[in-house]
Amino acid sequence: MNRRVFITGYGIITAIGSNGPENFASLRNERSGYGRLDFLQTVHRDEIYCCEIKLSDDALCRYAGVPTKAGFSRTTLLGLIAAREAIDSAGLTEAETTSAGLVSATTAGGIRELESYYYELQDPESTGDFLAFLDTGDPGEHTERMADILNMKRYLATVSTACASAANSIIFGARLIANGLADIMICGGSEALSKVTINGFNSLKILDRDLCKPFDHNRNGLNLGEGAGFLVLEAEERLGHPGKKAIAELCGYASLNDAFHQTASSPEGTGTLQAMRKALAMGGIAPEDVDYINAHGTGTENNDLSEGLSVRALFKDQVPPFSSTKPYTGHTTSAAGSVEAAFCLMGFEHDAIFPNLNFSRPMEELGIRPVTELRPGAGLRYILSNSLGFGGSTTSLLFAKC
Amino acid sequence: MLINGNGPNIYINGAGVISPQQTYDNEAFLPEVTEYGGNVLTCIQPNFKDYINPFQMRRLSRMLRMGLSAATICLQNARLETPDAIITATGYGFQEDMGKFLLEILQQNEQQLTPTYFMQSTYNALSGLIALTVKCMGYNNTYAGRGFAFETAVQDAMLLVREKEAENVLVGSFDQAHHVQYSDYARLGYVKKEKTSNLKLFESRTQGTLQGEGMAFFTVSGQAFPHSWCLLQSLHTVYRPADFPFLCEELTDFLQANGIGPEDIDVFVNGASGDIVRDKWSMELRKKFFSHAAEVLFKHLTGEYATASSFGVWLGARILKTRTIPESVLADPATSGRPLRTVLVCNHFLDRNYSFFLLTGRTPSIST
Repeated sequence: MNRRVFITGYGIITAIGSNGPENFASLRNERSGYGRLDFLQTVHRDEIYCCEIKLSDDALCRYAGVPTKAGFSRTTLLGLIAAREAIDSAGLTEAETTSAGLVSATTAGGIRELESYYYELQDPESTGDFLAFLDTGDPGEHTERMADILNMKRYLATVSTACASAANSIIFGARLIANGLADIMICGGSEALSKVTINGFNSLKILDRDLCKPFDHNRNGLNLGEGAGFLVLEAEERLGHPGKKAIAELCGYASLNDAFHQTASSPEGTGTLQAMRKALAMGGIAPEDVDYINAHGTGTENNDLSEGLSVRALFKDQVPPFSSTKPYTGHTTSAAGSVEAAFCLMGFEHDAIFPNLNFSRPMEELGIRPVTELRPGAGLRYILSNSLGFGGSTTSLLFAKC
Repeated sequence: MLINGNGPNIYINGAGVISPQQTYDNEAFLPEVTEYGGNVLTCIQPNFKDYINPFQMRRLSRMLRMGLSAATICLQNARLETPDAIITATGYGFQEDMGKFLLEILQQNEQQLTPTYFMQSTYNALSGLIALTVKCMGYNNTYAGRGFAFETAVQDAMLLVREKEAENVLVGSFDQAHHVQYSDYARLGYVKKEKTSNLKLFESRTQGTLQGEGMAFFTVSGQAFPHSWCLLQSLHTVYRPADFPFLCEELTDFLQANGIGPEDIDVFVNGASGDIVRDKWSMELRKKFFSHAAEVLFKHLTGEYATASSFGVWLGARILKTRTIPESVLADPATSGRPLRTVLVCNHFLDRNYSFFLLTGRTPSIST
């Protein structure tokens, strides 16, 4: 069985908005979520700015409709909020939601809570509200919590492939549908900012102390962000249901390994080139049919060169319009693949390409410029979206407008 | 969700297992049993130099060394140099390295940190390392969903074979016994309060289990060879079953979808963890459906960990390959003299994640 897979709804929460319409308004108005950290406790808050969601954990609990002080990690809360919006936007009934499978991706999981209460949790004598966070530090916990709250116990899975995680969770859900094992899948990723993430990237010396500048000659690293994005994937047979309308088809995808270095992409972008090629081949479309590339575009020296060269290698002198949306949301790491998939869907809905902020000078090695102004009426039919991660994880998704 | 109910035949063609017992040597089958008295079971390590070059080894943590060794043993056993795809599974990942990084953050007030522990504690660090080592640019994924991580990885591997996306998939698990998790588990009543010898685990009749660890790699393929271990027929997961009748129904439906009934099971590999409270349904399943079958237990050898079902699968596959059941895993020495053709591995993790793996001997006795 090889069924076609359609996207019928999405939900998103990032530093530029708590739902789809808010995120779209920020993209359209070129408003970035970059700024000082107000909620994460870190000594770096005055020197490392991030794209933080300006809601406390208690406010997120209320928004997500769950009790406070009940052990919901910030990652779980963001995931719940985005998944609920996705379910609503696809118009899934309670019974349909219960029958669906859930695939969620994260790396940080509940590490933010673990680092906040590390010593207390180790001390068998200590007591307090933090005890609700016993055993919530791993990635799988957030998926189980989400499944419990959303009453989606039929099937659950957790992906963790660093910054390609959420894109891989979309692929896995799509394959379960394509192979006839599920009809509806809710797939995405969620990631809260944590001291571990900020200090990890800081120790690798790849954080820009200013606004990130993807694909710019003077780029100097990435900005971190937090967020969650979830998509509702449905089998083609379900599109006949009354009121059911697909936004896009996931018509191609590829996930593979660059096999070059533990934390860097091959300089010439071998893996990304291969992933984009495979995704296009699967979708049966030629490179010239691609109308827009939502690049991974983190703003690091290595990523943008490697990804840029792979784009050049594939599209030669006809590089389609491309941009990175990381300057708006920061790099939401494990959630980036689904956050940016949601942006691609907004692109289809509004037929617009969102500009790459903070760009001024092309990279000499590439000689190509991302889109730098909002481009309405872009005539979007096919969009490629790339996600690359530590460990060589390389993923490309191809969406076709419905 | 039923994976591969009517799909093509999928074979386990090789395995590499590092566990708290002597398992990395594929020539012997549990030749002796190691006793642990401190409620924590840790792996018996092979000589890493046999599997990893010294330059590479210096930079690798204990977990990465063990994982890479297990993967290498597995590929050697499968007579395979490079698989087409690599999938790993873990419940809690590289806890030790993550813990070291976290502690440095707290103790050094977020200053002067080195990235090594951070880099080596990303959950896909092992799948990336294996890809890098065996030069596999194919499909690569890592699942970190606690008691379902290994199950998802195997489902993915079976799908890849079915999609003809890969001919040979390397799929494996890794989890580590770590003091942070141990202290959490102690508070939650997941591990036993009283010191219990692993060899007396199933006589303890108290709440909680023993903390274990391990890694188990397999190659799965649509193609069988003379050295193949067994057929990986199908698998199914059940999350938080509402009650025992629901779990029974899921199990019988699963068997039925594979064209068999409980009476066709020759060996019941029971993932009971020695926890008198949480093992209740596992034990009842055995009583209700499989009293005719040989019952095999294994968590007294490995302890409990999120991906322990992978050890159960190894055990089942090894039983089918060798057509023997070592005494150390046989629950009742007086069990039936049935031929060893069909194995059901029934695992549970913390009474929350239930999974069933159906394995059959290489020449399937059941038509599919």
